[in-house]
Amino acid sequence: MCGREPSGGRVTSNRDVYVVIAAHNEGRVIRTTVIPLVERGYSVVVVDDASSDDTERQLEGLPVSVLRHGINLGQGAALQSGMQFALRRGARYIVHFDADGQHRVSDIDALLAPLRSGQADVALGSRFLRAEDRAAVPARRRLLLRGGVVVNGLLTGLWLSDAHNGLRALTAQAASRIELRENRFAHASEILNQIRRARLRHVEVPTAIVYTAYSMEKGQSSLNAVKIVIDLLLRRIFR
Amino acid sequence: MRPVQFVLILLLLGVLMLYFSRLRSGLLDRVVVLLFGLLGIAMVVAPDWTNGVAHLVGVGRGVDLFFYLAIVGFAFAGLVLYSKVRDLELQITKLVRIVAIDRARQPDAIQVPEERDGP
Repeated sequence: MCGREPSGGRVTSNRDVYVVIAAHNEGRVIRTTVIPLVERGYSVVVVDDASSDDTERQLEGLPVSVLRHGINLGQGAALQSGMQFALRRGARYIVHFDADGQHRVSDIDALLAPLRSGQADVALGSRFLRAEDRAAVPARRRLLLRGGVVVNGLLTGLWLSDAHNGLRALTAQAASRIELRENRFAHASEILNQIRRARLRHVEVPTAIVYTAYSMEKGQSSLNAVKIVIDLLLRRIFR
Repeated sequence: MRPVQFVLILLLLGVLMLYFSRLRSGLLDRVVVLLFGLLGIAMVVAPDWTNGVAHLVGVGRGVDLFFYLAIVGFAFAGLVLYSKVRDLELQITKLVRIVAIDRARQPDAIQVPEERDGP
């Protein structure tokens, strides 16, 4: 698919693409995740969500912006901070990218294509659009995600194939109309809600998830899914 | 006076004193809390009159009526607290975010002066 382009005009054209990474205690992997993004010329914003490990030190010497939350707020809050920062720096496109290395850098171009052509305002990654991506998802997770699709659909009115995919791309204009107030993981559903309310045009784009031992270990447990639903329900009641 | 009445009155007075000494609140709040405190003491000192009130709304004993109201009251208090906590969380989030953005480590040496958020 996307081979590595020779350096040239291509690289500078990624400058206005801000890849926002929320990181909480990702010291073991953050550098490995960030370097390929830097190599492709993306502007990288890492939001260190009050990590207690060496996440911030791991980024030393890399040409990336680092924001640090003084106290741990959660992934949703970190993404919001990163987006706000990116918008101020003149971002044209904003990409949400997980810190644990489960997304493929080469998928970003595919996400940006519908935004660049003006066909959509938001592109959402999905691991359920291509047979080979689907096959890579562990069976138990597949079941959980299927449940998530239904919950999301009922709560947000947006029926997508992948309920909790952290890989997304937004135009600056779309990002400026989204304000994540759900600090923890429920932001993934909240963002769908806001996409629908702001009448942003969205597409799903096939992307792969690389399930590593690390991402599985750090990834969300089934119990977390229950917490997310409770968060969302309370949110519905309390605005 | 039965021992339980003595204990309850002491506890009620304790709560009232804590409220008035520790919490700053508006005049209206203070008056309402004082009235409820006095009402509580009256119910402890002379419980019988509450039965009359309970009969009016179809409850057998004053204690039961009070129990039902207390459950609803606690649920209400819980919800109010929950939404206050949420508000607080939002405010802290905004604060932490402003600090994080202001102190961001930039990739390049040339730092463009950032615009600050409005008041």
